[in-house]
Amino acid sequence: MQIPNAETPSKPLLQLRGIAKAFAGVQALKGVDFDLRAGEVHALMGENGAGKSTLMKILFGVQPPDSGTIELDGVGEVAIDDPRHALALGIGLVSQEPSLVPQLDVAQNIFLGQTEALGVVPRSQFQARAREILKPLAPRLPVTARVGSLGMAERQVVEIARTLARGGKIIGFDEPTSSLTPAERDGLFALIRQLKSSGKGIIYISHRIPEVYAISDRVTVLRDGRVVASRATQEVSADELINMIAGRRLAEELQHSAKPVVRAGGTEALRLEGISAAGKLHDINLTLRTGEIFGLAGLVGSGRTELARCIFGADRKDAGSVYVNGKPLDLRQPADAKAAGIALIPEDRRKQALVPNMDVERNFGLANFQQYSPSGFLRLKQRRQDIERYIEEMAIRPRRAGVRIRNLSGGNQQKVVIARWLQSGARIFLFDEPTRGIDVGAKFEIHELMRRLAKDGCALLVISSELPEILALCDRVGVMRGGRLVQTIDDCSDLTEDLLMKYASGEVTRS
Amino acid sequence: MTNDRVSQVAADAQASAAPREKKVSLGWIRSASVVAGVALLFIVFSVLTSSFYAPSNLLDILLQSSINAMIAVGMTLVVMARGIDLSVGSVVGLTSMITASLLPQNFLLGIVAGIVLGVLCGLINGILIAKLKLPDFIVTLGMLSIYRGAALIFTDGKPIYGIDATFRAIFAGDVGGIPTPVILALAIALLAFLVVRYTAFGEQIIAVGGNEEAARLAGINIDRVKICVYAISGLLATFAGFVLIGRIGAAEPIGGAGFELQAIGAAVIGGASLFGGEGNPLGALVGALTLGAMQNGLTLLNVPSFWQLVATGVVVIVAVFADQVTRKRR
Repeated sequence: MQIPNAETPSKPLLQLRGIAKAFAGVQALKGVDFDLRAGEVHALMGENGAGKSTLMKILFGVQPPDSGTIELDGVGEVAIDDPRHALALGIGLVSQEPSLVPQLDVAQNIFLGQTEALGVVPRSQFQARAREILKPLAPRLPVTARVGSLGMAERQVVEIARTLARGGKIIGFDEPTSSLTPAERDGLFALIRQLKSSGKGIIYISHRIPEVYAISDRVTVLRDGRVVASRATQEVSADELINMIAGRRLAEELQHSAKPVVRAGGTEALRLEGISAAGKLHDINLTLRTGEIFGLAGLVGSGRTELARCIFGADRKDAGSVYVNGKPLDLRQPADAKAAGIALIPEDRRKQALVPNMDVERNFGLANFQQYSPSGFLRLKQRRQDIERYIEEMAIRPRRAGVRIRNLSGGNQQKVVIARWLQSGARIFLFDEPTRGIDVGAKFEIHELMRRLAKDGCALLVISSELPEILALCDRVGVMRGGRLVQTIDDCSDLTEDLLMKYASGEVTRS
Repeated sequence: MTNDRVSQVAADAQASAAPREKKVSLGWIRSASVVAGVALLFIVFSVLTSSFYAPSNLLDILLQSSINAMIAVGMTLVVMARGIDLSVGSVVGLTSMITASLLPQNFLLGIVAGIVLGVLCGLINGILIAKLKLPDFIVTLGMLSIYRGAALIFTDGKPIYGIDATFRAIFAGDVGGIPTPVILALAIALLAFLVVRYTAFGEQIIAVGGNEEAARLAGINIDRVKICVYAISGLLATFAGFVLIGRIGAAEPIGGAGFELQAIGAAVIGGASLFGGEGNPLGALVGALTLGAMQNGLTLLNVPSFWQLVATGVVVIVAVFADQVTRKRR
């Protein structure tokens, strides 16, 4: 673990030892060691579900570890009770969704939770302090601006300032660039370098390898809740890094992801004409054919999820028409979409797809009451037989239909959700981040399942922020930006991640 | 029901490693503590008083608990759908006044009018909550006042004396020594249990209460489910009102005041979670019986009724606290 870097002082700012944590029967962390020095950027990498976010939640007091110790320089061993306590200890987090109060202004947000300590200090005084803190970070950001009116990059600056205002020495960044344009990303990197040179310790979580090379001094890779390696970034090649992150499974995945032959276009399954929703979607036109997988790429907040929800009748649209099999339909609520043979597999399983207290069988049945209880009473035997068939076919683990769904892993939960909609007889599938938070093995199985659906003549719309997923799965790709479908690529043979990223951020507008 | 619990726990335990068992055992502690509490209550009262354990007194407890039990079954369904109905006591008062006033003119009309009105009260609650997206707590609190006000306006605050003898025989008589209210309460709870366990509607209640957004995105008509549970709650409050005026032999516009707390208490003691998605109509019977036995015992011990109010409040808050502790842990 000794890093041959003259700049780094010997005593770490932060030392995590043997951190272990289990959720719902899944051992998320199995004894993780991690340390951070002053003046370094330490990248933390790993697949979804490898344990990165759990480790961060423990460090920032969101959850207590089951075992292991956290030691801070100058403080000693600490038990961090909650995020507020973490902030007081000088540990701040810039998360994917900033935890700011949009109704308050910049200065108020920076000192939020500290105001009691400040007593009846006049507003002008802590605005002045806020200005002082922001000066090196973003001198032009007005401290009286409401946070709700700020862009993502500016909100991140406010979060950084909030940590600095409390004398913070450790700042974690959790996928900070996922909703930034390339220009904003460069600005953030400049900021991080500045923090680094002023002696702060930075933890940088990302799954983007080029970013990790651009910004970090050291990189630690987690896989299945363990540290695979912790090395100086420059000593590791990108290939090595990929192998460490994905393990041997990656080879299998790449082997199997050989793109299916572009199928001669099927018949029209879903057509969108001029779909608009105030402030979110602008004039979306799109045709989805049977047997094809259409990918939707774009930054977080570009309107992809909103589009899927609009099609499904979950959110209201202001204008435009949806045609299913050539017929215009008025889909006002999810029940209408279901009746038209449309399925939505939403991005947040726990919040949007599952009733956690119900067992697997009942969760499976949620969209299938018409089938299983035409008279009101449930045909339990029939339903049990059906779910058991899916459990076998889709290799859902554990194999019992009576287990509460919250005890299943993310991948198995997702299979149950897909089984639910298969049983409903849906022919048009809207997948929103279908493999988010799912381990590599299950991810591969779900990809296979999606390909099979397309082969069987279903039409699939797949939203994904993982560009490799889009490239591996999709026959055609659309790119959204600012609520508009800005690009449709019919021939994906020359498509690269880099090009998709450029479309999504608006750097390139024509192919 | 017990069997199912056992297999559920076994499945949970198998499906997961050590940390999950902690949560399961918390659930067990909760169920066990209700049983232990009831047993303790019976033992203490039997020791302290000579009359508590007498068969006639036990029957009395059943009879006294039956009104609350009916309301508590409706409350359980509402709570399972992650709602709350504070208006039930006022629905009892309003519907019993209307029925009492119409009975002398036309027996059937009196009963039907009461039932229709009770369902209507529930429908209004449900529509305001589901369609206008108003908070359930505020809507039913406002309706608590409105329905009570209507009952008082109806006869200018005066009670109605003299309830039809047939009506009293049906709703407050007995069959082979068993009081009809007890039979009625048992039948209602059993029916509700079957609905929850074996019908689509029952599962939809659990789904709406367990995760409303997931239920909606699965194509469940969540508005309909919500409106229905409030309508059922209104209907069952009406039946409770029938039993009340049947037993007293008169209808008062303030009849049923305070019943909401008793019903919520019985539902929660019986296993309904105020976080939604969990509950058992048969448990509501146990809950009503627990509160009934406590009040009966305190009366036998000559504890003034004012103190019984205090005791009921304490028990309800403790039950809700126990619910919170056992369910919030993750």
